[in-house]
Amino acid sequence: MLASGMSEAEAIDRAKEGDSGCFEALYGLHKRRVYSLCLRMTGNTAEAEDLTQEAFLQLYRKISTFRGESAFSTWLHRLAVNVVLMHLRKKGLPEVSLQETLEPAEEDGPKKDIGAHDQVLAGSIDRVNLERAIESLPPGYRIIFVLHDIEGYEHNEIAEMMGCSIGNSKSQLHKARMKLRDLLKITRAERNASRSSSRQLL
Amino acid sequence: MTKVQEARAGAPKAVHTSGRHNEMTCAEFQRELPLIIDAGGTEEQEEHLKSCKVCCGLVNDLRYIADQAKLLIPLYDPSPKVWDGIEQKLKVEGLGKPAQARRSI
Repeated sequence: MLASGMSEAEAIDRAKEGDSGCFEALYGLHKRRVYSLCLRMTGNTAEAEDLTQEAFLQLYRKISTFRGESAFSTWLHRLAVNVVLMHLRKKGLPEVSLQETLEPAEEDGPKKDIGAHDQVLAGSIDRVNLERAIESLPPGYRIIFVLHDIEGYEHNEIAEMMGCSIGNSKSQLHKARMKLRDLLKITRAERNASRSSSRQLL
Repeated sequence: MTKVQEARAGAPKAVHTSGRHNEMTCAEFQRELPLIIDAGGTEEQEEHLKSCKVCCGLVNDLRYIADQAKLLIPLYDPSPKVWDGIEQKLKVEGLGKPAQARRSI
């Protein structure tokens, strides 16, 4: 229900007829999630704002094609994802590199954990550190991680959107999680070191 | 295969809590991990996971990260200039009818 007492379905119908007030109401309802998606996928505030604007402009132009076969939010977020992916393609940023999957770059890929024993992460991640770690992922890893683990897309949907195989999507997601694990462990170690030196000063 | 990859592939088997070594090595398990972590593995892979502290810790960490990511809710709104930009473009393109719409809301 919108602030005006109108339902979302009514606002969609009226926005389809060109009622920009209803469109503004839909913007108010969905701007946060669309902006967050753009921000997490690009890692850049200015780009995320431009893409949010572009996504809603496309929404205005295409809303008449919305048939209600899926939830409006699902349809809108798919539209926003496509806007971001199109933008990244134009920028020439790598999304998913097939070559990388076949021959992982040593400096960039996750390290295997064979024989390594260290503390588990459980209970040690807070939202801020996780957001920061996601932001520092290489773009290809970040996009797949955001789409799958945050936005809840399935591998077959990601493969279709990104033009890659399902196996490739799974492989990139795994690398992203491994990289995040490394980053989060480093953050935790730094935090512990800082606490320990503070205690020594006291 | 690079020298580093060769070294990793030839790394010693992980210490198993049960004291025995399964047929499957950690390297073999971790090679298949991207494909099975969300969907579940074969009986042999599940057995390895049960008996290997290293791989079990790794899987728990990765699942924990995925679970925490699901809890990340959108927190920030775009600045007001985003809507201003949309409104301006709609006017330029002749798409919007702002005055009429505002009255109806």
